[in-house]
Amino acid sequence: MLFFSFFKTLVDHEITVELKNEVCIRGTLKSVDQYLNIKLDNAEATDELRWPHLCSTRDMFIRGSVVRYVHLPSGAVDTALLEDATRREAEAAKGKAK
Amino acid sequence: MSFFGFDTNLPRDRGHSTNAPGFGHHDAFAGLGGGEDGDAIDFEETYDGLGDQLDETDDAFNDDTFGGPTTQQGVGKDFDFAGETSKIAGTIHEEQMLFQARQPPSQQKPSIPYASKPTRSGYENYNNPDYIPQLEARADIWGLKPKQSAAAAKQPEFEAELQPLPQQSAGAPAKKMMSLEEVEAMMRGQPVQEAPTPMIPQALPQSFGQQPVPYPQQVPHGQPQYPGMPGQFAPHILQRPQQPHLQGHPSRQQPIHAELPAQPVQAQQAQHPTILQRQRQQQPAASQPQRQIPQQAQNQRPPSQPRQILQNPNRLSGHGQPMMQQAHPGPRGSFPGHARGPSFPGMVITHPEQLMALSKEEREAYLEEDAKRAKRNHKIFELSKDNGLMTPQDKNFITRIQLQQLMSATGNLDEKSLEAQIAEDFYYQVFSSIRGAPRQNPHQPANQFAQTYLFQTNSRFGPRRHGRGGDNHMQRMEQQVQRAVEAAKAKPKGKQLVIEGSLGKISFSNSKTPRPLLNLKRPETGDKIKQNKSLVADRKDTLRNIEAVYMTLMHLEDHDRTRPPTITEGSQPEAIQAHMEWRTKTEALRKKLWQDIKIMEPINPQSTTPHPFISILSFAKGKKAIQRIFAHIDEQERITVVTMIVVHLDQLPVVSHAVATQDEPLSASMREEVELFLATVIPPLFAHISESPLNIIIGLLGLVLDRTNMHVVARSKVGMSLLTILISRAELLKQSAPKIDSADWEHWTELYNRLFDVVEPVLPVIFPGNVNDTDDMYVWQFLASMGVGASPEQQQRLVLGVKDRVMETVTVSKALPAEMAGARLANVNLFMRAIGLDVELLG
Repeated sequence: MLFFSFFKTLVDHEITVELKNEVCIRGTLKSVDQYLNIKLDNAEATDELRWPHLCSTRDMFIRGSVVRYVHLPSGAVDTALLEDATRREAEAAKGKAK
Repeated sequence: MSFFGFDTNLPRDRGHSTNAPGFGHHDAFAGLGGGEDGDAIDFEETYDGLGDQLDETDDAFNDDTFGGPTTQQGVGKDFDFAGETSKIAGTIHEEQMLFQARQPPSQQKPSIPYASKPTRSGYENYNNPDYIPQLEARADIWGLKPKQSAAAAKQPEFEAELQPLPQQSAGAPAKKMMSLEEVEAMMRGQPVQEAPTPMIPQALPQSFGQQPVPYPQQVPHGQPQYPGMPGQFAPHILQRPQQPHLQGHPSRQQPIHAELPAQPVQAQQAQHPTILQRQRQQQPAASQPQRQIPQQAQNQRPPSQPRQILQNPNRLSGHGQPMMQQAHPGPRGSFPGHARGPSFPGMVITHPEQLMALSKEEREAYLEEDAKRAKRNHKIFELSKDNGLMTPQDKNFITRIQLQQLMSATGNLDEKSLEAQIAEDFYYQVFSSIRGAPRQNPHQPANQFAQTYLFQTNSRFGPRRHGRGGDNHMQRMEQQVQRAVEAAKAKPKGKQLVIEGSLGKISFSNSKTPRPLLNLKRPETGDKIKQNKSLVADRKDTLRNIEAVYMTLMHLEDHDRTRPPTITEGSQPEAIQAHMEWRTKTEALRKKLWQDIKIMEPINPQSTTPHPFISILSFAKGKKAIQRIFAHIDEQERITVVTMIVVHLDQLPVVSHAVATQDEPLSASMREEVELFLATVIPPLFAHISESPLNIIIGLLGLVLDRTNMHVVARSKVGMSLLTILISRAELLKQSAPKIDSADWEHWTELYNRLFDVVEPVLPVIFPGNVNDTDDMYVWQFLASMGVGASPEQQQRLVLGVKDRVMETVTVSKALPAEMAGARLANVNLFMRAIGLDVELLG
């Protein structure tokens, strides 16, 4: 749930989502769910010449499984906290595995 | 009571009818009224006024006393003999069947072989070359008029014996649902039916004769018209063994059923060996709504497919569907049901003759309209073929499973504390509490979903959506949800499955962990095997140490959160107890932290590998931990940490590898490291040192001078910063408390002189980079702190050492914009003023 937890804090921030089919979309994260499905507002393809069919789409729902990368706004990430959260998650997973 | 003095009492009102049994013709009371002067009985005279004496004040409590306008549950079932009997109706029925089976077979037993029935597959019909499946569209389901007459005409009688019981159970509602209009239309349509279905002409009179309201369900009363074609009506999974008997005595059917008044529900149910039946037995009381719905459907279907009553047509065999689809080519125009078609603008056509009488255009229009209707009906049928695939119970079952899933995913309702949330959603919870949650409530319970669901279920009562039986249904849903919640609570938390011989465990997915994880088992023994003392191993060890430190830190911080309220004099013993336990655990964790940072490992000056604690500091995350560690250790331990760092100052990578020269400035990554060290490790050290007494400062400076390579320390930013801190603290102490032990001061002066002597040779090279490098403030700070405590002679030497740099900086700053120049000159001035000079003097 770490990723979910993390992405929830990015709501209302601008992110860039890179899909597995190379499409790159920038927009404001509106919501995210536990499948990491992403809802973007004010979305636009980063290269509109390459993906002109996305020009007219402003609000998008992106299925989590097609996302390759999410470019984060570094200012919105608390690294130390994220490290700790990762440790907790890892510990929990370790506890589960045993 | 009479207004005009008449005897308004009718004979029947004067007491019991004289015809009433038991009273004979003599009315014992009739004479009372007429006995006195023949007058009418005056109400006022006879009324004894008892009614006025009634105390009605507390009538409102009647309900409490007597049980009130009872709900259905409130009524006791003690005397529900019919209901009780119906529960064992199946047994009664069996007995009856057994009895009948044991009777010698009736002579009139038709050719439908009794023994062969149970083994039917439903496809026997097709073995008969003459078999024509019933051609019938199911428009009736959709509120169009049922084509009962057509159905009746086709094959009512065979079903009759086979399905005697549904007719009974369905009889009452069916009658109610027939409107006069429908009956009339049907009656009118009746004679017409004979034309398109000449195969079974004699069926009609018979069926009507027996059943005044020939609704589909009720039609089935008749003779076996086609004993030679038994297979034609084959899909009789539901048929009963008693049928042969009944067939022999069709006229006795009604009486037989009358014998079993409470039977209909159960009997019907018994005919359908489906899921439905099983579940109904579990909840007999709740079966009411379900039963009604199927019945409705049943009522509107032609008799040829009674098995569809409770089951989807597609479920049993492919039988029902082809029948219906083939129906469309049939001569639909003659069906009275279609005459009710809503969209045909012209006259209502009930007879083929009427159609013939129409003009050609009209006929075409009519036929076209009819074709459209047929098409639409077909479409509706296509869409509806899965209707009823799931019974309400099925749906409830699925809902229950889903809720259980939800519950087990979110865990127990009660446990769902802040703690659990933080465990699950740590980053978000903490992040939003730090930065302020934007929109969502951070303490929003994770299982709010389920709660909402429960709540909505509660409030969703009402005559909507679910139609009749809706309340009951919702009640049951509610109960189910509650049961599901309880079950989930009771369920042990088996979230994993270990398959023998597999590599890992399979975690069940749920809403929290949508993706099944394969958790690999870690070999316990593999952890502690020490490899050769290589650098890699050291690095790994260090990283592991750091992680251990962090884990302990997090445990400590978690533990801090659960700090019980501070105990006072009046505290309860339990509170004190809790507090003591909390303290003990804190102590244990602190001890563990102290061990984790490896600070007490013996110092081995000859060792080639750095001290474990220093190794920790060589990693970024190790550096970041220091501040947090300082929050949890006491004064003595802090001194130990500071001492340890100071002793190993020249071993710290940020010191030993951070000596910049004129030609070789620091790499970006090293600069980053240095900055990080200054931002994370130095502040707690500074905070500690700035509160330390002189003897500690003396001790620390002594250690630096004795144990470290001063040339390296003095040329690195970190080392210089630390020296600045020590010297300036001593200066502050000197100025604020001059009456401190003079021995200490002598000691300090001696150390200072040693430091000065060591530093003096490197003064020309303590500046990183050339004069254009703006990052030299810390050097000026160091020089200033040195200068403050220096003797005049030492000040002279200081100025000599850095004179060139001062002059250069002043020159450079003249060419710079005013702002930057001011900043640089201010730095220089920091030093100049410390020794009683000013940059202005140089200008």
